[in-house]
Amino acid sequence: MDHSAPPAAEATPDKLRALIVDDEAPARERLRRMLEELADVAVVGEAANGTEALERCTELDPDVVLLDVRMPGMDGIEAARHLGSLEAPPAVIFTTAYDQYALDAFETHAVGYLLKPVRREKLVRAIRHAARVAGPQLARVAEQAQLGVRRSQVCTRLGDQLKLVPVADVLYFTAEQKYVTMRHLNGRELIDESLRALEQEFAPDFVRIHRNSLVARRYVHSIERTPEGQLVVRFTRCDDVLQVSRRNAAEALRQIRAGA
Amino acid sequence: MNARVPAPRADDDGFFLPDFCQAPAVLAIVLIAALLGFVLALARLSAAGEFWIELARTTAFLLWAGLLCAGAWCRLRPWFARKPARTAIAWALGTMVGVVALLSVAVCLFGRWWLTRFGAPSAIFPHQWAGFVLPNVLIATIVGALALRYFYVSQQWRRSVELEARARIHALQARIRPHFLFNSMNTIAALTRTQPARAEEAIEDLADLFRVSLSDARTQITLREELEVARIYQRIEQLRMGERLRVEWDVAGVPARAIVPSLVLQPLLENAIGHGIEPSPAGGTVTVRGWCEGDSIVFEVANPLPAAVAAPPRKGNRMALDNVRERLELAFPGRSGLDVLDGDGRFCVRLRFPYVGDGRSEPTAEPEQEPVARAS
Repeated sequence: MDHSAPPAAEATPDKLRALIVDDEAPARERLRRMLEELADVAVVGEAANGTEALERCTELDPDVVLLDVRMPGMDGIEAARHLGSLEAPPAVIFTTAYDQYALDAFETHAVGYLLKPVRREKLVRAIRHAARVAGPQLARVAEQAQLGVRRSQVCTRLGDQLKLVPVADVLYFTAEQKYVTMRHLNGRELIDESLRALEQEFAPDFVRIHRNSLVARRYVHSIERTPEGQLVVRFTRCDDVLQVSRRNAAEALRQIRAGA
Repeated sequence: MNARVPAPRADDDGFFLPDFCQAPAVLAIVLIAALLGFVLALARLSAAGEFWIELARTTAFLLWAGLLCAGAWCRLRPWFARKPARTAIAWALGTMVGVVALLSVAVCLFGRWWLTRFGAPSAIFPHQWAGFVLPNVLIATIVGALALRYFYVSQQWRRSVELEARARIHALQARIRPHFLFNSMNTIAALTRTQPARAEEAIEDLADLFRVSLSDARTQITLREELEVARIYQRIEQLRMGERLRVEWDVAGVPARAIVPSLVLQPLLENAIGHGIEPSPAGGTVTVRGWCEGDSIVFEVANPLPAAVAAPPRKGNRMALDNVRERLELAFPGRSGLDVLDGDGRFCVRLRFPYVGDGRSEPTAEPEQEPVARAS
């Protein structure tokens, strides 16, 4: 893919390009110092939370990202899941001070991690063996680590840019053919996920009203019956109308009323 | 290296019946049968002069009975384990009695066959039902019941010991708060090169903080010392979080010499920072206010509530509040309180406890040294 590489890439053609992500400045400082002591690694940037990390990654295209697991806003595991949508996702190494479930999850799924404060030898070894972590693998890690299970944003890729849509802005998901359309406050996107997985992840805020539709409770304006006798859902922030299937009607009504 | 509690052994599934498929249990059965046979033969010594024959037959029978029973229990154990305790005991006992009964009947049948075959009763195999089968069944029932009771009770005891050990480890871990400890160490490691003097101060602070954490929960200290602990905690967190954390102190009015249980204020500050400041990328301000109301002292710790909290507050934080409430209640029965006031985007915890001085004249609680950090 042809894009103008940032200056650092030209200056360091053979070095491994690393991005440091941690919400604590002293922690980033220390990792930067340790990485700069390694001859074959170049630190191309830093980020203080998951959202910044994704921005830096699309700008700088690093080879490896050191991701702190616990960060405000978007945590490291969720950020890693979104990074997986990039065309050439970077390798990921998680860092954590102490996270019992996360450590078990990383061990179980052979995901690279480092314990803070990081030792030089372990850092070197982790960098050598850094690997990409696939989406489904990360989903399982997230569940076992009890972190980043419920994403705060949904990610789509536009060319070589990542677009993040906050889940709070999503009105509904509908399934067509093999893809799912996500309708949010500012438009619609195609995403490559299954309705069932989305339903499980975002319950109880999203209700399955039809085999092909999952709607956000907070944006449901009303459920009405059309003159033809069909139950439909109307939304507060858009004019779209979605049908409720007979099979899902009772449960959907119950869930939507429960929230109101 | 890991602080995790080691996983239980694979064969310890918590069921009280030992696993008789394993060699040690079988060896135990063999030894018990042999010893019991010996004891019984000795007991019948005076009846007839046939000690060795008596020993041989009794031991042989007991060995057969024991091994067959062990075999049955070995096979059926997984099935027993799925039943509730009482049912499992009944079935296990029933199995044992059944095995002994069948074996006795078999032996007797053989004895009868011997009688018809050779015309004289065998010296070894009995031929009378009533004298052999019935007593054996009764013995098996009694011994079986005793053995099962022993297994059950000893397993309960082992479980309670294990549970207590786990509870202690968890309590210690909660007080050490590994996440905080390792994060602080990481911060200090970073500072050793860039700001060595601050790193040194941070280590001293960390040491003092843990000294208090690891001390007896019933220790009582002065309010001045408790405020100092809270400020130490703030200093350490300030190093980590930088501009994201701001703390406003307004505690001039509280008497420094009031006696409180240790660690009642610091956990509130910790909660406020963990709940209110950490999840928010922009950070926020925690306010700590203290004043006197009549003969009570009141503290209020407030923090902003970030709008969308994706992860639920960690259970440990709620437990910390309950812990403080309980310890205040222990120290000042019926005269203390901890209330949570939630609203307006702010989370507020209010502590109230009676003013118990140590009898001397009261300076205020403001320490003489410089306030902690620019941002506070």
